[in-house]
Amino acid sequence: MNITFSEVTKTFEPDITALFDISLNIEQGEFVYVVGQTGSGKSTLLRLITREILPSAGVVAVGGYDLRRMRRADVPYYRRDVGLVAQDFKLIQSLTVYENIAFVMEAMSVPKKLVTERTKDVINQVGLWRRRSMRPAQLSGGEQQRVAIARALANSPSLFIADEPTGNLDFHTAAEVMKILFAINAAGVTVVMSTHNQAIVNASRQRVIELENGKLIRDEKGGTYSG
Amino acid sequence: MTTLKYILRDMWRLVVHHWVLGLLTLITAGVMLWILGVTTLFSLNLENLLSRLESELVVQAYLVKDNTLDIEKVAAKIQALEYVYAMKIYSPSDSLAKLQEKMGSQSRALDMLGENPIPYNFEIHVHKAEDVEHLVDELNAMPEIDDVVYAGLVVKRISALSRISSRIALVMFILSVVITALVVYNTIHISLYSRREEIGIMYLVGATRAYIATPFVLEGTLLSLLGALIAAAGIIGAYFPGVTLIQANLPFLRNSIITDRAVIFRFCALLAGFGATLGWVCSYIIVARFINSITKPE
Ligand SMILES: Nc1ncnc2c1ncn2[C@@H]1O[C@H](COP(=O)(O)OP(=O)(O)OP(=O)(O)O)[C@@H](O)[C@H]1O
Ligand SMILES: [Mg+2]
Repeated sequence: MNITFSEVTKTFEPDITALFDISLNIEQGEFVYVVGQTGSGKSTLLRLITREILPSAGVVAVGGYDLRRMRRADVPYYRRDVGLVAQDFKLIQSLTVYENIAFVMEAMSVPKKLVTERTKDVINQVGLWRRRSMRPAQLSGGEQQRVAIARALANSPSLFIADEPTGNLDFHTAAEVMKILFAINAAGVTVVMSTHNQAIVNASRQRVIELENGKLIRDEKGGTYSG
Repeated sequence: MTTLKYILRDMWRLVVHHWVLGLLTLITAGVMLWILGVTTLFSLNLENLLSRLESELVVQAYLVKDNTLDIEKVAAKIQALEYVYAMKIYSPSDSLAKLQEKMGSQSRALDMLGENPIPYNFEIHVHKAEDVEHLVDELNAMPEIDDVVYAGLVVKRISALSRISSRIALVMFILSVVITALVVYNTIHISLYSRREEIGIMYLVGATRAYIATPFVLEGTLLSLLGALIAAAGIIGAYFPGVTLIQANLPFLRNSIITDRAVIFRFCALLAGFGATLGWVCSYIIVARFINSITKPE
């Protein structure tokens, strides 16, 4: 599933141009950092890929398939193959950590036994097993972020979209999370993550896409970042 | 099967979460459906009674005194009229005998009349009270007929009553259906609204719209079904004691009341099915609209 942006512009009412004339291509299995100052359009770019929003002009295609023309009934099936860590986590407040993760698989009709195993697995991966019965409001920002990461891992997606997944984490925990992302990337999963964190970008030298005021100003393999 | 279990669990979560609201909905739906059931039963009984009275309505038509008249021919002519349901011919001697029987010991007075003064006459039954007027008009227009006797005012009253009763039943029907529908609609809307964020998140991480929607639709259906069952129980609980009371105090109504238990139970089952369907339709509409608006990409 490669991702293609062709001359994509996104404007929000009344006249905010969040992205302007973006063209890029991300191959299956790549690891991409999306960087840029706050308000530069990073989240907007990622939300176009998950089809939370549609472009105002241009085409966003995933696997050669124009997302605008995707049938409404197919959207959930597309998203099951996309692991999403949103900037604001998007956890369900009325459910516990465990339930938040389990329900993604339940919605896919996975039998209970498998759900239990897999949920336990991913919660352990992010080191939150002892918090499994708590609700999001009882967790710190960093812990909620890790729940969101665990949830995105749960259905073993082939595309992983993470909006500042280390934003609330200390250096040590951030490094742990990055280890997980590199591991799934090594297994063939495309990872696209936005970040402000120079240390993380500079430590691993992946492809870097830099935005400024909604425009793509740099697309560099093995790049660095010094915003 | 697995999915069904998850969906039922989610529905149960919804119901428990909003249990006060759910209880209010259920009670309101129950009361409205009870009123619906009671008015329907009342008007069914009234219809029953009226049709009984109507079938006893009689128009008496007296022929002119003319020995050359062919009675058979006149009878055929009347029989052919549109509103005639049943008809009986009385000859002058039959009529006199009937009259004598009615008068009992005073019947001797009739002997003083000498010649029998009563002409041939017809006793005509109609189908419905409102037909009587038309029939009378037609009979009066026939030259062979001298006089028409019927219970004019009674006829008018009965047909008016029958019209009013069916109109009241219709109004009550619409009122109960609308109120029940609104209450269910509103409750499910609140339920959806309080979970609008969750709905968006579930859709974002790959739940189908049907999977998200079904627990809400089931919640609405369950609440109205429970309401309808309460209404049905309330009707059974009120109807039979009511019937007993009426039979004891208003014996002339005895034969006009529906007392067949099977009929009443079937009626209640119908009411429960109707309530559940109503709830299902209402929640389906609101859930579909709401989820549509939430899952639309910007
Ligand atoms: N739903 C929206 N309605 C209106 N304007 C929006 C909406 N979403 C984003 N914007 C605007 O688009 C621009 C880009 O926003 P975006 O969230 O993509 O920035 P970002 O690079 O992710 O910033 P940050 O690093 O702070 O997360 C901003 O000016 C923002 O105000
Ligand atoms: Mg952002």
